[in-house]
Amino acid sequence: MARTRSIGWAVLPIVVVAAILAILPSIWFGDSPYTTSLAVQALVFAAYGVGFNLIFGSTNQLFLCVGALAGIGGYGAVILTDETSLPMGAGIVVGTAFAALVGGLLSWISVRRSLGIIFTGIVTLVFSLAFANLLLGQREYTGSETGLVVTAAADRLADDHVGGYYLFAALLVVFLLVFRALQLSHVGWAFRALRDDEVAAELAGVDVARYRIYAATLGSAMIGLTGALLAYSAGFISPATYSFDRVDVRVLVLVAFGGLGTLLGPVIGAGVFAILDEQLTTSLELREVLYGVFVLVIFLGFRRGVVATVVSLYDRLMAGRRRKPILESPGD
Amino acid sequence: MTAVVLDGIVLGLAFGLLGVGMTLVYGLGGVLNLAYGQMVVLAAIVVMLVMEDDVATFLAALAGVLAVAGVAVLLDLTLMRAVYREHGEERTLLGLLLTLGVAFVIAGLLTWRYPSGALYIFIGGDPVSILGVPMARGSIWASVIALLVAAVLLLFFGLTTFGRGVRSIIQDETGARLVGINPSFVRTVIFALSGALAGIVAITQSMSGPLTVNAGFELTTFALIVTVVGGLGSVAGAFLAGVLLGVVNTLSAHYIGQYITTIILLGAAALTILIRPRGLLGR
Repeated sequence: MARTRSIGWAVLPIVVVAAILAILPSIWFGDSPYTTSLAVQALVFAAYGVGFNLIFGSTNQLFLCVGALAGIGGYGAVILTDETSLPMGAGIVVGTAFAALVGGLLSWISVRRSLGIIFTGIVTLVFSLAFANLLLGQREYTGSETGLVVTAAADRLADDHVGGYYLFAALLVVFLLVFRALQLSHVGWAFRALRDDEVAAELAGVDVARYRIYAATLGSAMIGLTGALLAYSAGFISPATYSFDRVDVRVLVLVAFGGLGTLLGPVIGAGVFAILDEQLTTSLELREVLYGVFVLVIFLGFRRGVVATVVSLYDRLMAGRRRKPILESPGD
Repeated sequence: MTAVVLDGIVLGLAFGLLGVGMTLVYGLGGVLNLAYGQMVVLAAIVVMLVMEDDVATFLAALAGVLAVAGVAVLLDLTLMRAVYREHGEERTLLGLLLTLGVAFVIAGLLTWRYPSGALYIFIGGDPVSILGVPMARGSIWASVIALLVAAVLLLFFGLTTFGRGVRSIIQDETGARLVGINPSFVRTVIFALSGALAGIVAITQSMSGPLTVNAGFELTTFALIVTVVGGLGSVAGAFLAGVLLGVVNTLSAHYIGQYITTIILLGAAALTILIRPRGLLGR
């Protein structure tokens, strides 16, 4: 009884997010293609964010290759279906599996060589840059800078904007459910233990290496799946779709903004940044400046994420108000 | 073949000069300055602006070097203080993220204000023949400056008391503190030095071709590769790695192709981390 109630409480935030996502099109942006595409972009980044959060937020592996993993999913799927005329589903499965494999392999390497946060960051960053060069160099498969028109994309997926919105909304809700299920299971205990103190976790019998590789594989699969679905729903991909400066920096900023390791952090971060983007359509360069300032402010002032800071501030204020009468009672 | 290797050495000295400013700051405080390429670009834009007022090239270059050294001191006294309050991996991570933020601010402001800004210091005169290979005067000047900087840095760290103090902090921060060295002051000086080196990089890079306003990210990448391969914190390592990578770069670009070349360089950095994490000459 108590257990079912606690699971109900644990899933409640996801139900709320799902409900908001379901009614958002009808109450806010209706059928405006521009606003819908912004919303789809926000959902895509929230989905990347959940995957990244699983890898970095839960197990402290700084993967600076979110864009590259999404690109492996996207390009892998599209090249397979365009070259072989296999159905779209096969492309998505293969692209996702490939991204999961690469992410797991990167994690295996960094765990085996015990690289630590910083060297894992450099190795994955180097991998991102090498992948971008590979995309530019393999012109006959990837179309280089000009990009690749996805011929195998089902028409209804490429043209129907609202359909794309619900697809990514459903994807995000599934990712959140998976993330919550992991948090509630013994895996979640292991993640918390190894994040707080790696050595202590190892001594307490947590197989740190194995849980790291699991998290990286699953997170990379999420990122790859999102990248593959993005390719088919956009109908066109280019190296810029998955580039380091467009994807990784943004994912890092929005997850940090929402709160590393929290369930709803990526969703809140992606939502806030979508609204910011809509307000700041003036200049791409100034938006870059603003991102930089955001990074500085977030990491200097709100290390646990803006949401957690606001919540604890609210708690303190409420506690202060409740205490007030007691403190002032002698004076009455 | 000789021409390709000579070109490689010229490029390699430029790589080494680029890497040395990043490696010093990392070795000293554990901060990997991801805004380093943007600092180079900032210096280039300052020199470009000063030269527009018909100031002699040498004075303009000096202004650029001093300006970026000043910006570096400013960064050290503000953002980096928060970084140095942390320790170990926390410090490295915070340093990485904050300098990434700084990189975006500088890059965004410069491309917004000077979208087509570029610095090109033209060195006239006929090519000079070295070992029978004609070399452009600009590249020779750039290489001579890089060699001079390497020599000065090596002498500075090897012979002066202050330089030895710096090396003692690289080896053991607590120990250095115990024998009366003030790490925070030394870090400020070295951060300023790294800013000045970024300014010198801007000058030498623009002697062989225009240095454009959006070159920052690529410069940071190459500085990072050189830093990792050479060994974090080692001046000689940065130049050794620079020359090695430069020769590999031109050989592979000449015989294989440019895209593969970048992948080979990136692969060298990844392999170094996996096989010998402290780099060629790291401690």
